[in-house]
Amino acid sequence: MLVKRTYTRRRAGALLGAGLAALFLSGAPRAGDAPRTHKIDIQKFKFAPAALTIKAGDSVEWTNHDIAPHTATHEEGSWDTGTLSRGESAALTFETPGTYSYFCAFHPQMTGTLTVEA
Amino acid sequence: MINKKTCAAALVAFAFSMPAVAEEPMNDLEIAHTAYTAGQIDIRYAHLALALSQNEDVRAFAATMVRDHTAVNDAAGALITELNVTPQDNGLSQALVKGAGEKVEELTGLRGKAFDCAYATNELGYHQVVNQTVEGKFIPNTTVEPLKELLTDALATFKQHEKHAENMVSSLKCS
Repeated sequence: MLVKRTYTRRRAGALLGAGLAALFLSGAPRAGDAPRTHKIDIQKFKFAPAALTIKAGDSVEWTNHDIAPHTATHEEGSWDTGTLSRGESAALTFETPGTYSYFCAFHPQMTGTLTVEA
Repeated sequence: MINKKTCAAALVAFAFSMPAVAEEPMNDLEIAHTAYTAGQIDIRYAHLALALSQNEDVRAFAATMVRDHTAVNDAAGALITELNVTPQDNGLSQALVKGAGEKVEELTGLRGKAFDCAYATNELGYHQVVNQTVEGKFIPNTTVEPLKELLTDALATFKQHEKHAENMVSSLKCS
């Protein structure tokens, strides 16, 4: 499902070293539009937008604006941003079409839905 | 259990409504001290829960309390450093610490569901009173804008904790 993860600010160094990008890299770039990066803000204990539709190959970048740390975690556990402190971002790239429900692992009442279209 | 819940709420309510505090609005440095102290107390409760509870939901809540209150207090510490000020101890902070010591002693003697319910109920009462105080007294009385912003952000977090605690009390079927 994921081709790579990119973390910004303080998390960048930790994951670049992990080689995850190379590990998950698969599939050819899609024809037509170039892949896009969509932004989701985490603010006041909500994902905004709470529902987002993207194309396969696009990335989603979550940024936490709250004091409290948050995550964006797939309900079925196949992907996770890791802990995002205030001001931190994490980007995940999605290759496999489908509808993915996710939540904050620390505050489960925070939920969102991501739809990946072919 | 109702009695314990009432006692916990009454204890905190007493601390937040002491005559000296009610009559004289606290200054910015006193508010900063008390807000920080209240956070540290909840972290202390949470560590106790992590040590004593076997309930997965209670432990998850406690871990969230440690994580979130640490983040808020870290932000407060950074602001204090930036402003180069020293928070001022006061009667309310002292009453909170005293009440927390007694509550910890009470909780330490409990195990199993008795502990979980006492912890959850105390968390609900504690957050209810703290949130009322932060919203109704601390934020309106704060004159330093960065501190007011921090308290406002923190209140959004604490209100989530209150809801979470309410759900936890309900799911534990303590009454």
